[in-house]
Amino acid sequence: MTFTGLVGATFWLPLRAIIALCVRLRIHPNVLTFTGVLINVAAAWALALGHFVTAGVIMTLANIFDFIDGKVAGELELSSDFGGFWDSVMDRFSDISLFVGLTYLYSTLGRTDYVMVTALATMFTILTSYTRARAESVVAKCKVGFMERPERIVLFMIGAFTNRMAAVLWVILVLSVATVFARIYYTWRALNDPEMQS
Amino acid sequence: MIRPERDLPMPFRAVWHALYWTFERATWQYDIMVILILAFVWLTPPDWIGDPMAHGQGPIGWVIGLVNHP
Repeated sequence: MTFTGLVGATFWLPLRAIIALCVRLRIHPNVLTFTGVLINVAAAWALALGHFVTAGVIMTLANIFDFIDGKVAGELELSSDFGGFWDSVMDRFSDISLFVGLTYLYSTLGRTDYVMVTALATMFTILTSYTRARAESVVAKCKVGFMERPERIVLFMIGAFTNRMAAVLWVILVLSVATVFARIYYTWRALNDPEMQS
Repeated sequence: MIRPERDLPMPFRAVWHALYWTFERATWQYDIMVILILAFVWLTPPDWIGDPMAHGQGPIGWVIGLVNHP
């Protein structure tokens, strides 16, 4: 088993118990999704105030809701097209909230350079999901690129807990740019390369 | 048509695969990428990247200081 596989398996055990509890209480997955967003807004507020450890704790809680909503929907047989759409939109809301919090923090500190790094990271984070959604309207699947939402969330938490948010922002920015261009290139090839079409 | 994943020589092909990422999570390639990212985040001295919230030289700076002033 790989190192990251082991980490995933370790966190899966407590999450399994929380999913079982939500299923027993028959909590609607859309409610879980929305609760996660509200908690993420609180995390963004903590980031804006520069309270990184508090933000990390709140983000961890928010992302539990974020992670389990789809699983609870599956187990309660409440999966729906609207649920998928709602989840995607709320995910963007959560993502952008955290970036807005950091933008506020760096602007109050008078750090225009990091306001720009955060703004660019926000731009390419939005483009990461947009390129995939748009690509999958013309090709079957477009899942290339490293920096997807789970990676971004974990990086945000690492940055908050260890007070290394600036380095995390650089990683998110560089790998999000790479992901966006990878998706553009992949879609172009899927539409033009006979080898990929066959 | 040029296909970088097989036409590029090493080490350019490795860089290509890191940027044009096609591997699944929990693979050895994913592990390496995660280790490289964590090394950058935790080892880069905050002062080098002008971190507005963290200061100091970090582990790398400490090692450099030790080498320069043993």
